Amino acid sequence: MVADNVSFTRALVATNFKATVALRGAFVMQVVFMALNNFTFFIFWWALMQRVTTLRGWQLGDIQMLFGIVAAAFGLTVTVAGGVRHLGRFIEDGDLDTLLTQPQPVLVNALGLRSQPSGFGDLVSGLIFIVWSGQISWSRLPIVVVVIAASAVIFVACGTVFFSLAFWLGRVETVATQLWELLVTFSLYPEPLFGGTLRLLLFTVLPAGFVGYLPVRILRAPSLANVTILMFVVIGYLCLAVLIFDRGLRRYGSGSRFTTFG
Amino acid sequence: MSAATIGKYAAFARISATQASRERNELYGRMAFFAVILGVFSSLWRAVAEAGMPVAADPKSLVWYLAATEWILLSAPPIHIEIQAAIRRGDVVYRLGHPVSYALAEFATGFGLLAVRAPFLGLTAFLCAFAFTGWTPPLTALLMVVPFGFVASTLITALYLGIGLLAFWLQDVAPVFWVWQKLMFVLGGLMLPLELYPAFIQRAAAFTPFPWLLAAPASVVLGTHPVTPGALTRHLVIWSGVTAIAVSWVFRRAVSTVTINGG
Amino acid sequence: MPRAAAVELNQLSKSFRVRRARGTGVAARLRDLFSGDTQTVSAVDKLSFSIAPGERVAFIGPNGAGKSTTLKMLAGILRPDAGDVRVLGLVPSRQRRQLAFQIGTVFGQRSQLWYQLPPRDTFELLGRVYEIDAREHRRRIDALSSVFALGTLVNTPVRHLSLGERMRCEIVASLLHSPRMLFLDEPTIGLDVSAKAMIRELLWTESEREHVTLLLTSHDTGDMERVCTRAIVINHGRLLWDGPIAALRRSYLKAKRVTLWSDAEHLELTLPGVRVLSSGAYRTELEVALEITPLGPVVDAALRQTAIRDMAIEDAPLDEVIRAVYATAARGGVPS
Repeated sequence: MVADNVSFTRALVATNFKATVALRGAFVMQVVFMALNNFTFFIFWWALMQRVTTLRGWQLGDIQMLFGIVAAAFGLTVTVAGGVRHLGRFIEDGDLDTLLTQPQPVLVNALGLRSQPSGFGDLVSGLIFIVWSGQISWSRLPIVVVVIAASAVIFVACGTVFFSLAFWLGRVETVATQLWELLVTFSLYPEPLFGGTLRLLLFTVLPAGFVGYLPVRILRAPSLANVTILMFVVIGYLCLAVLIFDRGLRRYGSGSRFTTFG
Repeated sequence: MSAATIGKYAAFARISATQASRERNELYGRMAFFAVILGVFSSLWRAVAEAGMPVAADPKSLVWYLAATEWILLSAPPIHIEIQAAIRRGDVVYRLGHPVSYALAEFATGFGLLAVRAPFLGLTAFLCAFAFTGWTPPLTALLMVVPFGFVASTLITALYLGIGLLAFWLQDVAPVFWVWQKLMFVLGGLMLPLELYPAFIQRAAAFTPFPWLLAAPASVVLGTHPVTPGALTRHLVIWSGVTAIAVSWVFRRAVSTVTINGG
Repeated sequence: MPRAAAVELNQLSKSFRVRRARGTGVAARLRDLFSGDTQTVSAVDKLSFSIAPGERVAFIGPNGAGKSTTLKMLAGILRPDAGDVRVLGLVPSRQRRQLAFQIGTVFGQRSQLWYQLPPRDTFELLGRVYEIDAREHRRRIDALSSVFALGTLVNTPVRHLSLGERMRCEIVASLLHSPRMLFLDEPTIGLDVSAKAMIRELLWTESEREHVTLLLTSHDTGDMERVCTRAIVINHGRLLWDGPIAALRRSYLKAKRVTLWSDAEHLELTLPGVRVLSSGAYRTELEVALEITPLGPVVDAALRQTAIRDMAIEDAPLDEVIRAVYATAARGGVPS
């Protein structure tokens, strides 16, 4: 039975990809320009680190790695599980109805319904940043893949939690999108910049620390302890996301709504 | 342009301003993001100061510098999104027949939005910068930033209009916008004053309006090599002219494309 | 021994707690969530009926009658508040996944097909959704594609298909996993006459051929008449009428609305089965029961009084029929 779920997930991802590349011109443009977008933005860091060299223990190579991991993970998220950004709309517009009549997990089905072509640009540029950081040897390649996948799962899990708010609060696109953007934004800045309380937040409610900082630490000096922590964290957020979505689905099944009557 | 014509466009501006002041959720989102960015950068500049400031300015004024550049940038409403959507929907074809210039009407609409966003974001900028640094720049500096910054935001809005009009030819202008915006970040010295960039980037920036849109008005708070009001005015006028010519040329080409190809 | 019913409803009830949304944004919504300012709207009220396997049933009612809500409870999308419901022997809200393998759905306003891709890609994905053996699935796709005369449509991106062509593909998509029951919500909405006719015939044929039970909601009496043998009429969530379409037709659908524009300001027509609905300003509206008096004599009678400038003939609107059904039911009477 699990094999069938896996086979379905594979087919869903493949179909999603096919749909994304269907409009060839738009696809290429999104990929190329997003990569350019990322490189252009990074000029800021490059220029700063030429002048400053070390920022609370972080050097240009570390920042390149941070950027690379977050960009690659983000790219992976919005290409493979691009539906996460649209969950709020799916919930509000009743698009989950069709999924509920199918014998496959609703969340997986919903996540695989959309894909953002620009994510491939993020993925490619992310990988380039990682290589460019000069801190990765070929032997580290498997760890790189693991770490990017882990960050991507955390992104998907958090997005699921944020956008699932729609089950209870109706159309809350702005807040959920803000939280999502905050998560991405914080992930892109070196963690030593942040003070006590904020750091606590960044390792709990808005796990930017686990998406960016911990992976960089692992890639700099892989240790079983760190990798284990990362795995536990990933599983934890994943379980939370599944739980909240499941609760939300039950509420969806009760049909209670918000309406502007009066 | 007669008074009646100006009145027409003023109406567009007024309507959009009224609407914007009612639908404030997106604006609150921008304000929250602004506060976060200022917080992050106040930490950043403090950390840089620990390593040794690469520029003759202290971290506090650099936070205010960012507050100013971000205020100018975030105030300009991203009207290219709605313009692209309208062009996709085909609405634009109908509006081309109306006795108002579609491009000018959209600009007026953008201006109305800007008029609402600028004060809210300006207040956010002031309060957050003060909260994070415990200091304010001299009043004269702030008094210079505000009017020039507002004009700069207006010019940025016009540039967004130009990008939106590209939707007549491009399937999706968003990718163009992304790169254009990041170029503006770098060449306009959004987060880093231009003098911190390598010489070749500073030379490239001179060919663009970006330094005069963001870096120049904001640099007043830095207190180092202040730009004179005269120079600022001169360059903003020149670039306004260039922008007006460029955008109207794009619009005229767009209209002829539509009339030739039938929408 | 009678075969188990395909669908069985007993005293099924559902009401919605509707909260007033006083503003937009999270803060406002959180306040509303805890404010307790809710209204309970009854959508389905002690509905009971059963459908035998292979039956084709039209589920009729005006907007807001509770049709979609009932359908969603049958498909397992919504949970009922009270009463029992069984579809193919399963409880939808509790055995949703099991039931999903056996039912198909076609929502007229929603699409199961991927917009940028040809229908074939969606069909193949559905093979994985319903865990069907690949080779068997391909055979099924080919078989259904030929029955529904899809031809090259299967390989044309959905965004290039007309609504009628898309609808045919949607129905094929819903039948790929050989469901025993098909739920259709407004399947012919927005289609032109010939497309409607084609869809109706295909549904009828498929249902007969593969013994698929159909439950379809529609505002279109043509859907009812051409596809279904039985009609269930509901309004305000309550069952009004349940019986063969023939009986409904006998009682109500043979009445036509005839509008005459004439040279006379008023027309007086006293013929059996003819009711004058309105007459004035050179326009007269009649309700004509064609079984009692065919159109010919009606027009003759009018011509004897005045010259006829223009004439329009329409079916009695469904809302009227329902109102008539409701009126009869409310009176406690049984439609003749």
